[in-house]
Amino acid sequence: MTEESKNRIVKTADGDEINLADIDAILDRVGREQRYLIRLLHAIQDKYNYLPEPVLRYIADVTPIPASAIAGVSTFYAQMRHKPAGRHFVKVCIGTACHVKGAENLYQAFRRHLKIEGDEDTDNDRIFTVEKVACLGCCMLAPAVQIDDITYGFVEPSKVGNVLSDFLEAQKQTKSDMEAARISGALAGEVRICLCSSCTAGGTLAVHQELQKQIAELKLPVVLQTVGCTGISYQTPMVEVAMSDGRSFHYGLVQKESVRDLLLRHFKPPHVSTRVRTAIQRKLEELLTDSVWEPVTRYAMDVRSGPDSLYVGRQKRLVMECAGEINPMDIDAYIANDGFKALENSLKQKSRQEIIDIIKEGGLRGRGGAGFPTGVKWQLVHDAKADKKYIICNGDEGDPGAFMDRMILESFPFRVLEGITIAAYCAGAHAGFLYIRTEYPLAIARINEAIAICEKRGYLGENILGSGFSLKLEVEQGAGAFVCGEESALMQAIEGKRGMPRFRPPFPADSGLWGCPTLVNNVETYGMVPWTVRHGAAALAALGTIDSKGSKAFALAGKVLRGGLIEVPMGITLREVVDEIGGGIPNGKKLKAVQVGGPSGGCVPASMCDTRVDYVELLKAGAMMGSGGMVVLDEEDCMVDIAKYFLAFTQMESCGKCTYCRIGTKRMLEILERLCCGKGKQGDIEELEHLAAVTKEGSLCGLGRTAPNPILSTITHFRDEYEAHIAGRCPAGKCKELIIYKVTDECIGCSKCAQQCPAEAIGFKPYEKHEIDPEKCTRCDVCRQICPVKAIVIE
Amino acid sequence: MLKIYIDGKKYEVAEGSTILDACRQAGIEIPVMCYLDGCTHFTSCMVCVVKDVKSKRLIPSCSAPVVDDMEIEACTEEVREGRRVALELLLSEHLGDCEAPCHRICPAHMNIPQMLHQIAAGESVKALATVKRNIALPAVIGRICPAPCEKGCRRGRQDSPVSIRMSERYVADLDMDAGDPRLPECAQASGKQVAVIGAGPTGLSAAFYLQQMGHACTVFDDRGIPGGQLIDGVPEHLLPRDITAAEINIIRRTGVVFKQRQTLGKDITLDSLAGEYDAVVLALGFKELDELQPLGLDLSKNGIKVDKHSLTTNRRGVFAGGGVIGNGKTMAIRSLADGKAIAHSVDTFLSGHNPQGEQQLFNSAIGAVKKEELVEFMRGAADLARHEPADVDGGFAKQEAVAEAERCLHCDCRKLKSCRLRSYSDEYDAHQNRYKGQERKPLRIIMQHPRVVYEPGKCIKCGICVRITGQTDEPLGMAFLKRGYDSEIGVPFNDSLEQGLTHSSEQCVKECPTGALAFVEGEEV
Repeated sequence: MTEESKNRIVKTADGDEINLADIDAILDRVGREQRYLIRLLHAIQDKYNYLPEPVLRYIADVTPIPASAIAGVSTFYAQMRHKPAGRHFVKVCIGTACHVKGAENLYQAFRRHLKIEGDEDTDNDRIFTVEKVACLGCCMLAPAVQIDDITYGFVEPSKVGNVLSDFLEAQKQTKSDMEAARISGALAGEVRICLCSSCTAGGTLAVHQELQKQIAELKLPVVLQTVGCTGISYQTPMVEVAMSDGRSFHYGLVQKESVRDLLLRHFKPPHVSTRVRTAIQRKLEELLTDSVWEPVTRYAMDVRSGPDSLYVGRQKRLVMECAGEINPMDIDAYIANDGFKALENSLKQKSRQEIIDIIKEGGLRGRGGAGFPTGVKWQLVHDAKADKKYIICNGDEGDPGAFMDRMILESFPFRVLEGITIAAYCAGAHAGFLYIRTEYPLAIARINEAIAICEKRGYLGENILGSGFSLKLEVEQGAGAFVCGEESALMQAIEGKRGMPRFRPPFPADSGLWGCPTLVNNVETYGMVPWTVRHGAAALAALGTIDSKGSKAFALAGKVLRGGLIEVPMGITLREVVDEIGGGIPNGKKLKAVQVGGPSGGCVPASMCDTRVDYVELLKAGAMMGSGGMVVLDEEDCMVDIAKYFLAFTQMESCGKCTYCRIGTKRMLEILERLCCGKGKQGDIEELEHLAAVTKEGSLCGLGRTAPNPILSTITHFRDEYEAHIAGRCPAGKCKELIIYKVTDECIGCSKCAQQCPAEAIGFKPYEKHEIDPEKCTRCDVCRQICPVKAIVIE
Repeated sequence: MLKIYIDGKKYEVAEGSTILDACRQAGIEIPVMCYLDGCTHFTSCMVCVVKDVKSKRLIPSCSAPVVDDMEIEACTEEVREGRRVALELLLSEHLGDCEAPCHRICPAHMNIPQMLHQIAAGESVKALATVKRNIALPAVIGRICPAPCEKGCRRGRQDSPVSIRMSERYVADLDMDAGDPRLPECAQASGKQVAVIGAGPTGLSAAFYLQQMGHACTVFDDRGIPGGQLIDGVPEHLLPRDITAAEINIIRRTGVVFKQRQTLGKDITLDSLAGEYDAVVLALGFKELDELQPLGLDLSKNGIKVDKHSLTTNRRGVFAGGGVIGNGKTMAIRSLADGKAIAHSVDTFLSGHNPQGEQQLFNSAIGAVKKEELVEFMRGAADLARHEPADVDGGFAKQEAVAEAERCLHCDCRKLKSCRLRSYSDEYDAHQNRYKGQERKPLRIIMQHPRVVYEPGKCIKCGICVRITGQTDEPLGMAFLKRGYDSEIGVPFNDSLEQGLTHSSEQCVKECPTGALAFVEGEEV
């Protein structure tokens, strides 16, 4: 080491050594202006696992970026760490669906298992850092946990140890196991599998590896194809076998162990005897997705045309066209399915105004929440006079319990890019950004790749399709701030600043990114564009209701038999969605309410579930379209807890700028917390209503203005539950401080509960009825879940 | 030009004006906290809201541009309520006292911390003025007061309270020992005449302040010398008679006329005085109810019945306070306070208004300070034990007084006068406990700068200092840190305030709308 390079080593407070030459390299690669600040911080964190203070100081010294901006931005975004972390990140999803399935208990279980206490988030050996994450978008696999890149679904608190050791085991395996084997000769067919984040969380990766392995071993003349998601999360892992003769078979809930049999059912390897295959055949019948479906008879289904006929039958797929059929990254497959036709048609045969008129007349409204007429927005930016205009795709979907945008970005990247390009052409924008949550790494990777492919093929970049129109798109990665879904905050983030909304007007159409007219739409809105342009305004307007046209994607989750990503025609009722698409409530429980619209939305009670999916009707019912989370709640869900859950989310995600939101949401949360632990008092409900009203009225941006909705809708429809909490009761048996766990006479004395109880609240008494000490009990629910005879109840 | 209707009146404003600009142009005052002329607006405090009639929304006037034909309500109760809610939300997390506990507890409401800082700074003349603004007889009170202020003194939680009474005595004695005691400045003669009956503490105090307000006072007293209970009720070894006489002499020298051996009902009557004078003050001291009957005034079980705040009796122009209404049985300071309150009430009456006692401004209060938080207050105070004067009869010597005054924690706000959160809270009648939080943040007082104190608990996150330090090219400056309810303003990378504010401290302190950033010495009231 030379003297000079030695001088460039700085030590952090934690004793780490940092070579400033490495930082210079990052600066050279990423850029030195404030607009690259968030990218810089990501790059530093990627390298060191956190943001060492000496590095931040160094950046302030050697770049024009002000120290206050570096300090401000690096402490604003939740994903930015200022303390060293463990080698691996355990991210426990606390999205809505995971919350109603016990995510908090699961989070505590990880902390307990790793002996993490107090303010710490990392175990003593610095192997694991345990964090909560807003939503992994794997709602049907709730509760879900992501450890580095591996996602685990249906994790029970008692299984935490297994999950961690499984993860560590998986780390040891070499990458070579996963190498794909190539085959030659005539194709007998395709095996399709989706590797999006949800499906991966459901265990698809293992099945995919096994498919690769078996296809290679058996030397099958088969192509293994990665395809866009079907949205049928409840059947994950799901495999489709498409024969070259056109027949196709769907298999749901496929296990790694049955992959070989599955392949052998359809494809003939030279060396396997017929006798063996017949034996396998019988076993395989059980695997067919049709046969694992329990509720089919309930819905008078006489046509068993496909495994997902009911689930898919009521859906209307415009954004999700070709779901499950083509490889998301295969641009030729996209083109073969009418891809880029709308763009080509727009650039070559239509004027900008003609396209804007199609969008206007079709009645397309923004799918990001507020439902502003898309055509009007385009017109405004089109009409704005400026040398430079920008286009932005808002992919900062952060609602817990919503993952439509993620699925669309991962499964239909070309469609989104086509929609953006058409919009940019209409608006007259030649540069733009896709702002995508950092929690969606696969979406970011695929969009980046799709942009590169499009540029290569002339669908993006200079002189698109020879039309003379040029568009340069970049991906901007979020850093963990829900508020950045608000367009003015999002633009701040792209500019490399704290994502704090500003007062509007001026609207982005007048003064947006760096003061230029900017068109901002969300992922799904852009995704609707190609279909609309291709089929015309009348086709879109024909679908839906007077106020709401076309289709809308929802993430259906919670207490529903079949959940996943759905796209339904506007005007369908919530009941139809829950019963027909979702297959009703599992375990014989009753529907209590449907939470629509996430933290900005509200709970529509079962009695009002004939409300239609429509911007106006949902608002009237106290909910809102929001970005499309739809969480089904049953009688075991406490509505005060649900309100508290959403408020805790918005309170945590408030940017802290305006007084009403910063302090108003905090005060409301305090009251809800008080109610949930039995310390509520008379007048609390009225105080909540008052605070909700002032926060709604006075807040600066949409986050604050809609934050009280979950409270207001639950008070309106479930006031009796609030009153019960004031009286010290939680009717749903959810609020820990208001319930106790008891062992009934059903107890067989198996002592499993005593062995598993992390709080040592259950004495070890084999062959006797066990007892729970309410003083020691932490209400972690492990015993109730583990009891083989359901002898543990909540009172 | 754009048309705008504010509260129904039409105005024309230039293109690009905000509603705040329009209101200012129309002479309508709008409260602002996060707004600063010459800086980009930030729109965080929401105290400046007005109502847009068409959209029915409350909007921040500092940021909302005027649109042609806009209709705005700027003064309705709904708008006032919106501003009040914003203020009350800010107050719910405001971690600071306006006036210190000693100041609030003192019946005469003397600004004790200010007196102590002035003593510590060697400015005894200023300290005397501070004392005399509220206490007419400091040498007397400095000897006999039971000092409830010392019971409230926060320093008492740490070791023992600051010796406030002895400090006050020091200030007063110093003045008198100089031989030529200072006389307060009196306003120009109003031409009004006030009769004060009784030369006890209440009457003396009333006369002292009325005379300063420009009203000619005549004190009628039934004894040979003035002093009342100060002579009859206090043994001479506690309060030497010459001290009392000397302080009364100061009052006399302001122009107050004393008429001794004048007994009410014998030598003088209420009716005759009421006819002769513009106002009459009854400062008779303790009287049995039957003695008061002949006055013909409404009585209560404690004495003459008065309005608690204005100290007016049921007879127009007649005021009463002190012993005669049942106050000041154990504390002379209570009587002095009544006398001062009467002076204010009479003054408003004589200038043609409804009589009103002294107005108390809004006061924020921290409530209980945790033991471990005392260290925050101790940062600016001398770490010495409470000092008793070496010469018990002679009181503090200068060095002793200074040392004792340096023990003051300065737990009052350093921006009592200019804090806009206080003045607006007063104006909008905001209540601090309206939205009381469950648990408050820990108290922090950051003294890392030779001139500036930063109290994060008083910060409203308006970011004015962030904008100023950004504009003035501070190397580090101030930054927004963290997010949401936890967000705060601080120096980047945990550096000290001195490094954050190298050349812009003056401007930041001046523009900070609350007491969050203040000069160490505080501002004089």
